[in-house]
Amino acid sequence: MMEKILDTIKQLSGDVSQNLIDKFLSNAVTKLWTEYIMDIETIIKTKVDSLKFSIPNASVKKGYHIEIPFNVEDVSEFLLEGLEETGLNAEKTDNGYIISGTPVKSGTFPLVMKYRYEGCLLGKSLEKKFDLIINPDPRDLWKDLPVPEDIEYPKKNEDKKYVKVTALDGTPRKDIVAASKRGRSHANEGKPRDDDFKLYHNDENDWYVIAVADGAGSAKYSREGSRIACETAVNHCINELKNCEKFEENIQQYNLFKDDSESEARKYVGDDIYKIIGAAAFKAHKAIDNEADNKGVASKLYATTLLLAIAKKFNFGWFVATFWVGDGAICLYTEDKNGEQPKSTLLGVPDEGEYAGQTRFLTMPEIFKDSTSLYKRLRFRIVDDFTALMLMTDGVSDPWFETDSNLNNPEKWQKFYQEIQDNKEHPVLLDDDNEQAAQQLLDWLDFWSPGNHDDRTIAILY
Amino acid sequence: MRRLPVYILIDTSGSMQGEPIEAVKVGLADMVATLRQDPYALETVCISIITYDRDVKQIVPLTPLEDLQLPEITTPDSGPTHTGAALEMLCQMYSKDVNRGSSEQKGDWMPLLFLLTDGKPSDIQVYNSAIPKVKQLAFTNIVACAAGPKAETEPLKKLTDNVYSLDTMDSSTFRKFFQWISMQVQAGGKSMGITDNIELPQPPAEVNIVI
Repeated sequence: MMEKILDTIKQLSGDVSQNLIDKFLSNAVTKLWTEYIMDIETIIKTKVDSLKFSIPNASVKKGYHIEIPFNVEDVSEFLLEGLEETGLNAEKTDNGYIISGTPVKSGTFPLVMKYRYEGCLLGKSLEKKFDLIINPDPRDLWKDLPVPEDIEYPKKNEDKKYVKVTALDGTPRKDIVAASKRGRSHANEGKPRDDDFKLYHNDENDWYVIAVADGAGSAKYSREGSRIACETAVNHCINELKNCEKFEENIQQYNLFKDDSESEARKYVGDDIYKIIGAAAFKAHKAIDNEADNKGVASKLYATTLLLAIAKKFNFGWFVATFWVGDGAICLYTEDKNGEQPKSTLLGVPDEGEYAGQTRFLTMPEIFKDSTSLYKRLRFRIVDDFTALMLMTDGVSDPWFETDSNLNNPEKWQKFYQEIQDNKEHPVLLDDDNEQAAQQLLDWLDFWSPGNHDDRTIAILY
Repeated sequence: MRRLPVYILIDTSGSMQGEPIEAVKVGLADMVATLRQDPYALETVCISIITYDRDVKQIVPLTPLEDLQLPEITTPDSGPTHTGAALEMLCQMYSKDVNRGSSEQKGDWMPLLFLLTDGKPSDIQVYNSAIPKVKQLAFTNIVACAAGPKAETEPLKKLTDNVYSLDTMDSSTFRKFFQWISMQVQAGGKSMGITDNIELPQPPAEVNIVI
């Protein structure tokens, strides 16, 4: 072979020095070798680049397992680098890598797959670069920022109350517990709580009054709207229920004819309810209008929902009446006893639109445009007994019920009522006269539900 | 789980080639990184990206932010800008993707729409006929942005009242623009009553309001 090359050179150029021939050979080989290597590298690089290298994003604290196939003809060695800080492990297999584990750090991590042609040194390897995205854990990102001190209409970030109604003549009586907490989405931005509530029990005639309100997240002064709504509505009910013998007589009459939907007695009670809680809602609407006028702004800046209930135990059972505008839920719940199915009755219809967050507010004029519009938001009924009357804002009802269909499902309410009491971290002991329940309920409101971080308020008469 | 769908329509006609499209890519990547650091966005935001030049492509189908990976964006050397066809595709995708509330299903948040162009629609008839269709769909806000000196704002005004312009198409301008979009997306998941729009945050100095 070598002699043939020398012969060819001699035929072309005659006698030349060995030195020159050596130089030529070295040059030629270098050139050929380099070209050859470049060629094979281009070939395998093309092969490798044609591999689809998209790997799904990982998330901090969530288990991850992905196979990266790396089975390329003529590629014998490969090595994956760049996972060092992520907390993930890379396990090499014959055909590629398995990345698995639980990420500890979020970010975009540039990974490199180094590889070489069969027989070459890995030090002079080729590289395929790609990114691994690791999402943070949303729970680590929530900030709990204080509300600026100088805001108009300041409000505490949380509130709780227990109305203890002690036993009468040895018979325990129902209590009311309520808790309200600023949502994470508000805490994250240093914004105040927009929800509110107010509870009342008349110790003389045993009437209960409960109001819960959810100020619209998008309305500037809604926190004051919800406060005025609860305050005004409950105060009106307190006054109306001070001396309400005639109303109670009508309820007694209604009880006798309660199965007759057309009875006169029903009409009388309906009129009373209109005057008591219908007027309470209207007064609340007016009070908000007044406040807006005083401030010289539109009343929709105070947009709020209102859920209002009055209840009293008679010798024939419980009378419950409600007014409801907006989303959230008012539910009369009776747990399963003696093998009977649990019962739940939604006392009204939540106002919800096609899209999330769409609702109606107490501040909208259409709610009170005529008596029919108002009447359809009122409900009243007599029941033998019940386990709990619950009023809540959508910050609580959305994560647990999501849809109208679930809100009308007694089994969902059973699950919900058990969840409150059996929660692993923050159980609420709904025993008679347990004043600790207010704090327990407030703690329970910390539950996690992805995408549901609105203010949360719930009141329970139980 | 209620999602906040975000539709982004990006002009990829020949004039966007080079620095402008690179700047848009940087801006988008920046926006996604910012939103990933927002816990509420991370749990609710879903993004779809539609590019339009002669061809209209949904390069990112509606994808949760958590799973999102930005693909390469390519631009042809020259050719028309089919903004109208892009709006047509948007309408199709919206009908297919967005969950409306019913008794059995929780509705999504009302979607957001951002449209970016550096020129004008070449398919003006299709564009004009697509506009009423887009307006029939509910969006919390539609924000249209005319980028650079050759972008025309008049056609955009037919689409929305929220028309903005960028004087230059460099990376720092686009970065500011996409940061501003991030802020709007972060404000997107709020209750707003049946009819009200959410007020847009104050745009940065680089983003001009077109009246």
